[in-house]
Amino acid sequence: MNTNHLKAIVAIKRVIDYNVKVRVKADLSDVDLSNTKMSMNPFCEIAVEEAVRLKEAGIVDDILVVSIGPKNCQEQIRSALALGADRGLQVECDVSASPLDVARILQKIQQEEGADIFLLGKQSIDTDNNQTGQMLAALLDCPQATCASRIQIEQNKAIVTREVDGGLLTVEMPLPVVITTDLRLNEPRFAALPKIMQAKRKPLAVKTLADLDIKLTTDIELISVSSPAHRQAGIMLNSVDELISTLRSDAQVQIPKHGEEA
Amino acid sequence: MSVYIAPQQDTIFVLDQLVELDKLAAQYALDDVSLELAEVIVQEAGKLATDVLSPLNTAGDKHGTALVDKQVQQSPGYKEAYQQYVDNGWATLTGPTEFGGQGLPNVLGTAINELWHSANMAFALCPMLSQGAVEALTAHGSPELQELYLHKLISGEWTGTMNLTEPNAGSDLAAIACKAKPEGDHYRIRGQKIYITWGDHQMTSNIVHLVLARLPDAPAGVKGISLFVVPKYLLSDEGEPTELNDARCISLEHKLGIHASPTCTMSFGDNDGAIGYLIGEPNKGLSYMFTMMNHARQSVGLQGLSISERAYQQARQFAKDRTQGTTKDGQKIAIIDYPDVRRMLMAMKSGCEAMRALSLCAAADIDKHHHGDLDAKARVEFYTPIVKGWMTELSQELTSLNIQIHGGMGFVEETGAAQHFRDARILTIYEGTTGIQALDLVGRKTLNDDANALKQLLNEVSNTVSQLSTSTDTTLNQITPRLNRALQKATAVKDWLLAQGKADRQMAANVSVDYLMMMGYLCGGWLMAKSALRAVELSGQNNLNNEANTYSEDFLTAKQGTSHFYAEYYLPRVHQHADTVLSGLSSTFSLDTDQL
Amino acid sequence: MKTLIIAEHNQHALKAATLVTLGAAQQLGQPIDLLIAGHEISELSQDAATIAGIDRVLTWDHAMLAIPFSETLAPVIANLRSQYSHILLASSSFGKDLAPRIAALCGVNALSDVIEIISPNQYKRPIYAGNAIATVKNSASCQILTIRTSAFSAPTHEPTASLAQVHALSVELPHSPVRFVKQTLSESSRPELNSAEIIVSGGRAVGSEANFSVIYDLADKLGAAVGASRAAVDAGYIANDLQVGQTGQVVAPSLYLAVGISGAIQHLAGMKDSKVIVAINNDPEAPIFSVADYGLVADLFDAIPAMTARL
Repeated sequence: MNTNHLKAIVAIKRVIDYNVKVRVKADLSDVDLSNTKMSMNPFCEIAVEEAVRLKEAGIVDDILVVSIGPKNCQEQIRSALALGADRGLQVECDVSASPLDVARILQKIQQEEGADIFLLGKQSIDTDNNQTGQMLAALLDCPQATCASRIQIEQNKAIVTREVDGGLLTVEMPLPVVITTDLRLNEPRFAALPKIMQAKRKPLAVKTLADLDIKLTTDIELISVSSPAHRQAGIMLNSVDELISTLRSDAQVQIPKHGEEA
Repeated sequence: MSVYIAPQQDTIFVLDQLVELDKLAAQYALDDVSLELAEVIVQEAGKLATDVLSPLNTAGDKHGTALVDKQVQQSPGYKEAYQQYVDNGWATLTGPTEFGGQGLPNVLGTAINELWHSANMAFALCPMLSQGAVEALTAHGSPELQELYLHKLISGEWTGTMNLTEPNAGSDLAAIACKAKPEGDHYRIRGQKIYITWGDHQMTSNIVHLVLARLPDAPAGVKGISLFVVPKYLLSDEGEPTELNDARCISLEHKLGIHASPTCTMSFGDNDGAIGYLIGEPNKGLSYMFTMMNHARQSVGLQGLSISERAYQQARQFAKDRTQGTTKDGQKIAIIDYPDVRRMLMAMKSGCEAMRALSLCAAADIDKHHHGDLDAKARVEFYTPIVKGWMTELSQELTSLNIQIHGGMGFVEETGAAQHFRDARILTIYEGTTGIQALDLVGRKTLNDDANALKQLLNEVSNTVSQLSTSTDTTLNQITPRLNRALQKATAVKDWLLAQGKADRQMAANVSVDYLMMMGYLCGGWLMAKSALRAVELSGQNNLNNEANTYSEDFLTAKQGTSHFYAEYYLPRVHQHADTVLSGLSSTFSLDTDQL
Repeated sequence: MKTLIIAEHNQHALKAATLVTLGAAQQLGQPIDLLIAGHEISELSQDAATIAGIDRVLTWDHAMLAIPFSETLAPVIANLRSQYSHILLASSSFGKDLAPRIAALCGVNALSDVIEIISPNQYKRPIYAGNAIATVKNSASCQILTIRTSAFSAPTHEPTASLAQVHALSVELPHSPVRFVKQTLSESSRPELNSAEIIVSGGRAVGSEANFSVIYDLADKLGAAVGASRAAVDAGYIANDLQVGQTGQVVAPSLYLAVGISGAIQHLAGMKDSKVIVAINNDPEAPIFSVADYGLVADLFDAIPAMTARL
């Protein structure tokens, strides 16, 4: 492994904790986020972990963590700093930014930072868009590797194995590159207390949208949010025979009779 | 099985608004300490609690521990979880910096300990006992003993135990019979200790037992007890564990709850005598124990909060998911919409919030006392039996409500609701029963003190009533008269104690538990009222200033709601307990022993 | 205005997901163009031209498109945007990779995982792992949507006699910095997960890679696809692309058999729209039973071989 002294930017999002059961508000305006625990998006945790591992491997020597949101998203930035990122940047934004907004903000940040590797979660577990990384790559006119399950950085190029329908696809691309992380890329570590204490001394900058000359997009408007149709619990059967005969009569598919191959 | 999620917002609110952590940090020049730090620490500890410790809770209850070939085997997964806890440095949180600790204040340690105990109380008992050993060695150990033991106890590489109780010495430690015979630079310890929490396990390379025993020439009673360090494995000159000491677990208790925490009968000196080293001076063991007692008792009080919070989270989830009955238009009704279920959930939520407020305020007073604040010392002395007694008693009710909300599903073991109830049951017993706490409160902490600490506290409550009285907020206006009436009643109890109670100590003892419970409900009501006051103020600020978005409007209105409920639901209990106190319970001994 | 569908194919046939996307596109009530990018696709294009509902087939044939990368495709498709009000892709890994890249080049947001088309600018899509459904209005000049194929059906019309026009695009191949290294496809004669009528899925309770043979045997008897829970995939019993769930494949077959799957919320999000769900689990408390139409509390190693034998 050569020492590249590369710069990485990791974008992270503050979302409802994945353990919290989501409920739709009674007025159907949105989901109910009051009094719920918020955490770093799990895919973003994987992105932070990967950046830290690249740093530990001597490939990356500077990790900037960016989060876009109200002041309390600094909590998640500090969490990333405690995990091993070097610098934090909060882009103050009190409303929900769309994937294109986030991509444009990161593009602006890249103009100052000149990072070699962008690491993003493949999607956030709230809006489930799976768009930001691809959009950022488009705006930067650089290659993208989405849903990464393995990342190798060598000689200013990235060799990334992606999880795709039907299997795995390995591609090679020059830096700079945008990589989005999938579940099996790594298992994120827990923050250690001494690192949390040290992280207090790491820089955390704040910028506004005005600083970056960004105006938010308005093309997608949330009209309402509803609960998914509730599926009723069904009938408990007592034996395999009963199951087969029930499926033959009720399921709208052809269940082969004994002896015939499908 | 239920998911546990750290109540981060409420913890931060209490640290910020009631403890005033940033002020405390500035006052005592604690450079590293800030609310910001507290936030990250609670968040990260919360992850470990949720993802690692909490999932082991049910399995540990089912599996328990076992004594195999003279060694205690902990529940599967616990060793790995403990290693993770140590690797992440959590054991070092409050340890002194000169021995590798982070030196963070007790109040932060308490906030984090709440999470461990909620996630897995049986597990968390192990580091809790280690903290006790660290405290004893830090305060009273010789530099040599400190050097040998503190680094590894603080890092968590070794764990510590407290060996006090003997078959004939439970609440009465004066009866301790365990013997220590001098032999060169050490002592040979012989005797049996019972109920030793995490007395043995295979999670670490050594275990440091702190043992109370008598020297050959020791005076009888409490003044003849000394404190010794007895390592499970003797140390080499380099301080590394070598051969087994003559100290081992000979049996494990079968018990109602905390099954994953091995409760050991320890035998010292079956052969040549266990080698031990004296901590501090001879015959001072019990007084050393007293210096750690406030912290130890508050820690158990905190467990009452933790187990209640866990039970509350489970009950809330169940009540939202469980449907019973249908509306006219055929919609299924979640049981959370039934008034009585709502009452029980509010009782749990407001009860937990009141306990959190009290335990963190009391924990902060321990910090202030360590920094030389004598008023804080008086408060610590007074709060401690209330924190221990009231919070653990309330936890019995709140964990029981969880079962009630579950209905039949709570009575059967599958849902895990029963486990929290069983686990909670030890809390009013160990580290001094509720009866012992109540005697301490009424005797040493009130009557012997001429009720000075009590008067101070009532003054504080009175100040809060005055602040509340100036508010025009409708919710606060509901709370104020209720708190004021409770204050008046408690004042009457104070007067009664100073007159009647002082004259008749037996009568004071009769009513001591009611006095303790009254004080608990009053302290809870006072701090909840204070919280509501702050919530109203902050809520106004939110409208004016975008910066103040630490607390969402939802959180602030919920805080006012729980405070209001507390005032309506729990403050009347101040009157009920006060009436009992004022009766003197003169009929307590109206029957002969034979008539009972 | 018109709708453009970006086709997915294996050089010989369109993927089922593309046909379902066509079904969704028809709900927009506009003329539909289908773009087929690839190499040696003339036969495929001719076949596609016979599909009812397609007005025009655009082809882009280049050796470099044998494995098409979003970096190559996106600029070309974005350049077509003035002709189309809607560009639709399936919510496959291909579509999810490509759609946002096109959208960013068009200067608009994309809409992911559309499950219902209310009107040509109002849609429903799942958020929070399917625990909530958002209704959104899209006012972008060119709307770019990915279609969750489990929520729509392919058109049922017979091939049409009137062939659609096939139009070869003449565009310069954008420079792509991406180099193909290798592809590991799970080889299987079984139907694909996202188009199968029947799916048999195994969970962690199956216990090992070898034990999965009981699942394969039943699937083969039923002509079913095989799926798995995340726990089974993470344990290494089965390939990752067979994971059913929020972060894997979202499926809605006619019959879904969940075997030894406890029913974590993430798994339920990936299969709860199946028409008939059968759960076989030895734990009567398993959450999977709460969504199953038929449940059987049984040891899977008894029940599944018995079922295979009796079919």
